[in-house]
Amino acid sequence: MPDLIGTVLWPIKWVIEAILVAFHTVLTTLGLDPSAGLTWVLSIVGLVLVVRAALIPIFVRQIKSQRRMLEVAPQLKKIQDKYKGKKDQFSREAMSRETMELYKKTGTNPLASCLPLLIQMPIFFSLFSVLQEANKGQQGVGLLSKELSENFGEASLFGIAPLHDSIQSAAADNPVNVVVIVIAVVMVIIMTASQFITQLQIMSKNQSPEMKASPTYKQQRVLLYILPLVFAFSGFAFPIGVMFYWLTSNIWTMVQQFIVIRNMPTPGSEAAFARESRMAKKRQRRGITVTEMEATPAVEEVKKPQQRVQPVSKNRAKKQTGNKK
Amino acid sequence: MTRTLSFLWLLPRNLCVLVLRAYRAVISPLYGDVCRYYPSCSSYTLQAIQHHGVVRGVWLGSLRIARCHPWAAGGVDDIPARPTERYSVTDFGFVVAHSHGKG
Repeated sequence: MPDLIGTVLWPIKWVIEAILVAFHTVLTTLGLDPSAGLTWVLSIVGLVLVVRAALIPIFVRQIKSQRRMLEVAPQLKKIQDKYKGKKDQFSREAMSRETMELYKKTGTNPLASCLPLLIQMPIFFSLFSVLQEANKGQQGVGLLSKELSENFGEASLFGIAPLHDSIQSAAADNPVNVVVIVIAVVMVIIMTASQFITQLQIMSKNQSPEMKASPTYKQQRVLLYILPLVFAFSGFAFPIGVMFYWLTSNIWTMVQQFIVIRNMPTPGSEAAFARESRMAKKRQRRGITVTEMEATPAVEEVKKPQQRVQPVSKNRAKKQTGNKK
Repeated sequence: MTRTLSFLWLLPRNLCVLVLRAYRAVISPLYGDVCRYYPSCSSYTLQAIQHHGVVRGVWLGSLRIARCHPWAAGGVDDIPARPTERYSVTDFGFVVAHSHGKG
């Protein structure tokens, strides 16, 4: 069984090593000490940047289909009204079925599948195993040479907390490595906080009123308080290097979410209203003439293909322009 | 005799049912509704194991998970039906021989 997992993870490990080594080489060329912990820590940050940048298309896709949800909202409402107040299992099932059919028919499935959640797992475990092997001074599966591997294994965060140590291993040390435990605990706290903020941002600002009324929302609210807990426990067993990956990835998620909520909020959500009022204020600051110039060509463009402009008498023409104002 | 035999025959799939029920009760709610299909992947696998046994059920479930990705259209996707149902399913999800049938 471990061999099977090893085989599956092999290509991912290879890629991870390649990215780590590439960043390490670049950073060394830039003048950083090749054996310094900072260089390796920054390489891990680089790994996060590459992985998360590669995941952006999935994220964008999800946001786009969420935008398109607005178009099917009336049909969705119809289904919801049809099953309103019916809480028995069969009605719920029938409702889910109809909703799914609607999503499929209109190509607006807002659900992302579990892939985005799962996709980071192999990367995570591969990094875990790369770090473990580096700790033993073993050569990596690809570009990580024995020398680099030993180097990586000895690297430490801030020069005091070895990247391969975890709370568990530090507690088993004799004497107990307090510094590692303190750093790891601080990292778990930051990780939990960033996760919590991200979730809270989505939950409180970026949900439409319909979503807020659904049972899923209530479920997710509970989750909001459970997930950080799960997080803290799992942080216990992971080495600092892996935790650092996780932490950086979390911060990326937080920033990404912040940008999305600010610039492309879910229609009908609190964040959307906030954005509209922001835009209105901006327009006001620029002056009304600017908005009129922006608005008029857009209206004309839409109108043009629909109907030929009928010739009108001077009198009527005056009336029409008068109405426009 | 037939009772014991059918119990033993159904034991593997009932163990899988137990594991999946535990997953659906504990882990699934952690990330909420994300599946692009109805029934969700875990529910699909549960049904597949109940109705088709462990080997085919796990196979069908794996195929479904492979089908479920952000580029899939999603929609309603039920397990393939069996021509005849030999067993019945309890409320919890365990598979049992028909109480009145031939076993």
